[in-house]
Amino acid sequence: MIASTTLRVLGAVGGGYAVTALAVTTAGAVLARLGMARSDAVVTAAMLGFIVYLLLLLWGFAVRSPARLWLTLAGSAALLMAVRHLFT
Amino acid sequence: MDRTFSKSMVWLHSWAGVIMGSVLFAIFWMGTLSVFDAEIDRWMMPQTRLPAATQPVALDNIAQAVLPSVPAGASQWRVDLATPREPALSFSYKLGKESHAQQLDPASMTFIPDQGTEAGSGFIFPFHYSLHLAWFDTGKWLVGLAAMAMLVLLVSGVVSHKKIIAQFFTFRPRKRLQRSALDLHNLSGLAALPFHFLITLSGLVIFITIYFPQAHEAAYGGGGEKARSTFMAEAYGRYKRPKANLPGTLASIDAMAQVAEREWHGGQPYFVRVWHPGDANSYVELRRSYANDITMNLDQLFFDAGTGALLHRFQASPVMSVQRFMSGLHFIRFNHWTLRWLYFLGGLSGCVLIATGYLFWLEGRRARHAKLGLAGVRVVEGLAIGSVTGIILATLAFFTANRLLPLDLAWSQTGWPRATVEMGVFYLVWSATFIHGWLRARHAWRDQCWLIAALAPLAVTLNWITTGDHPWHAMVAGHHGVLGMDLMLLLLAVLAATAARRLGNLEGKVVHA
Repeated sequence: MIASTTLRVLGAVGGGYAVTALAVTTAGAVLARLGMARSDAVVTAAMLGFIVYLLLLLWGFAVRSPARLWLTLAGSAALLMAVRHLFT
Repeated sequence: MDRTFSKSMVWLHSWAGVIMGSVLFAIFWMGTLSVFDAEIDRWMMPQTRLPAATQPVALDNIAQAVLPSVPAGASQWRVDLATPREPALSFSYKLGKESHAQQLDPASMTFIPDQGTEAGSGFIFPFHYSLHLAWFDTGKWLVGLAAMAMLVLLVSGVVSHKKIIAQFFTFRPRKRLQRSALDLHNLSGLAALPFHFLITLSGLVIFITIYFPQAHEAAYGGGGEKARSTFMAEAYGRYKRPKANLPGTLASIDAMAQVAEREWHGGQPYFVRVWHPGDANSYVELRRSYANDITMNLDQLFFDAGTGALLHRFQASPVMSVQRFMSGLHFIRFNHWTLRWLYFLGGLSGCVLIATGYLFWLEGRRARHAKLGLAGVRVVEGLAIGSVTGIILATLAFFTANRLLPLDLAWSQTGWPRATVEMGVFYLVWSATFIHGWLRARHAWRDQCWLIAALAPLAVTLNWITTGDHPWHAMVAGHHGVLGMDLMLLLLAVLAATAARRLGNLEGKVVHA
């Protein structure tokens, strides 16, 4: 119970932030590539980042198991890194 | 954990609330006070209680007045112009890593003696967003975490209610404390829900470059200092040129301001900054005032100091303007008294929301924890007391110390600047309230309410004795900030005394039951 809760909190708060930060920088590059001014692309992505993180936090505490939480976070991170690689 | 969505939200709400409530209350309390930071400054710095300027002061006269105080080799000097809320001019310069600041009376162009206090703008306001923990921005990150927790609490609080409309219209102040606390929690949470959500989100948006420091890396091709400064220049504007190391002159700044007025279609500067003063490559920066806009524009103009020629102009891009609009929504630097009071009330409702959340948590568990011998209620109650009544008490001690400590004492010889002593009093009293809370448990609520009720009028009285500005005098003299602060302190005393009396009655009932 304690281990599972710790895993969940770490995943939602720490993992959620890491995925959000990766999503923000990736989205900045993608938006810039799509023709937005670079600084505007970055600022748009960063402002939306707080909403993304909020949704990840809420989902992280509602999802059925910590294993599922961590797997989804890892999957998203891998996907984001691939996109980031394609766009930079 | 096999659980339903709404059950997991209830769990999240109570844990996030108990763990982050303490920091959140500090942030909300200090933020609420920051709405009136300039007025607190006037109260704590009596010699800046100046009449508001009736006409703009010539910038060249200001330059003439401050230039003798700018030491040779200073990298920049700056003057922030007077506003209706800030009647004095703020002058500052940087020499190497050191910076020095002083205020000027715009009517006489003389320096105002150092008031020996950080007051509202230097202590309370930075406390709100940094907790004064500068080490690796720890404070700002903690505030960011608390802000995310606040958003989580708002969403989880709303979704875990089944009959939200009915609960909104329910307040039973005469029921058991647990019941009334929950009613008030729901009422303050829902009535000001849009305010709470927006104020928290906009607070986060202000610090995008702190909370997502690597946001620009993919778009700007790397994580180096060069990529970062390019992004900062494109987003926030920046102009720099190196020193020539030859002597230079300073042309008329008023002439530059006239160019600025044309460039900005009537806009006025709110500060003037001269870079590399006295150098042949010296340049003057003017920033456009946003006193009448929500958006805190980033309009800036740079002029050659010697010739007055326009060197560089910057305006925020469209998305950056959205960021500046969100920032302005949070900072309320624009002049609007009705909105300022509404922000104050909104902030207070946040304080009520957090405090009643704690009360509900405590009352709901008190009997059970006592029966099972659990320490939870005991620990959380001390934490809640120090965080809620404790920080109010510490703030009042800060105000009182400000009026008791003499200005002219040779503080520098003791190694303790007067401003540091004031802040020391704040932290000392704040720490003591936690200890008192853990020792006296639930009785500490009432004790501290009585202390608040005593200390707040004492601050008002001390202000009267030391400055002669009693509320009536302040009103006649046009010191509205001082008057407002005194009245709020007296209102706080009445509220605290009422709360203390009702808490006493409740305790009496428990004893006789």
